[in-house]
Amino acid sequence: MNLPRLGLMLAALLALAACGEEGWHGKSIEGLMPELEFRLTSETGETVTEQVFEGRPVAMYFGFTHCPDICPATLARLVAAVRRLPEPQQERLQLAFVSVDPERDGPEQLRDYTDAFSERMLGLTGTQKQLKTLTRRYRTTYGYEERREDGSYEVSHSSAIFVFDADLEPRLMLLDSLGVAEIAADLERLLQ
Amino acid sequence: MKIVSGVLLVIVLLAGALWWVSDMAPAEPIEIENPRVRLVPGGAPMAGYFSITNHTDAPIRLVSAASDAFGHVMIHRTVVTDGGARMEHQDQGVLVGAGETVAFEPKGLHLMLMRAQRELEVGDAVDVVFGFEGVEPAEYRVTFTVVPVTSS
Repeated sequence: MNLPRLGLMLAALLALAACGEEGWHGKSIEGLMPELEFRLTSETGETVTEQVFEGRPVAMYFGFTHCPDICPATLARLVAAVRRLPEPQQERLQLAFVSVDPERDGPEQLRDYTDAFSERMLGLTGTQKQLKTLTRRYRTTYGYEERREDGSYEVSHSSAIFVFDADLEPRLMLLDSLGVAEIAADLERLLQ
Repeated sequence: MKIVSGVLLVIVLLAGALWWVSDMAPAEPIEIENPRVRLVPGGAPMAGYFSITNHTDAPIRLVSAASDAFGHVMIHRTVVTDGGARMEHQDQGVLVGAGETVAFEPKGLHLMLMRAQRELEVGDAVDVVFGFEGVEPAEYRVTFTVVPVTSS
């Protein structure tokens, strides 16, 4: 087989692999997980449930503010993708950052952090019990590593963004390997 | 006379060789490109990114980073496996092979800059002192630029 043909075949295979089942770039989780439900504390300090989103679609990420690399990188890509959507879609989509590090992420810390990305991003956190209930519901985990001498510690967490539709049904997992254009394409299709 | 001219010839050849070699070697054995710190609000740690090229003909190891602008700086790598993300402290430092470039970039190797000693703003300059093994001088001072949190 000549090289250009091999290249074309590889490109076609890659394109297929990049576009998963049913043409989504992300992973479809429709019907695989239960609808969104939680009780958490919001960045305003109030106790809130999933009703805080008022029937709007939600893109939710689990992280922590003392995460200098992948959390800002993921949230920045999400926000850049949202900016590519048609204006009405941008306004409909709610962004949510759930901190799995309540010890360091109080309401004020969460508000400062989420506001740096988008005014449409709501910071949430909760007790360990509340957070465990929510993360287990979406088959993800988080954990803490050993403390350093200065008391700081690392947190392991999910790297995907979970997208729920207006009925709070889980629809997509946007893996961290997706680029801005792919995230935007999936969100635009979902929000149509 | 013969001996004198022989010695002279050797001296000239040696000088020529030295001149040739020194001309070949780059001015700086280590090159750091695009050093930047991504601003994170609220006192949380920030990530520092850059790329490092080793222009020497032997491997070097980046073993430490420190900055007057931060209480503590660590060399970390983000590892993503099975949909989960965690950080790995690079306690052996980072090896840069002879003539190779290693990129510190989002979702990979990065500096974790903890406890900013003053309020930073986009556009600020922050000095970081790198410590190396396998190269002289062993310390390099590099000026990082503070960039927005939404930049890559």
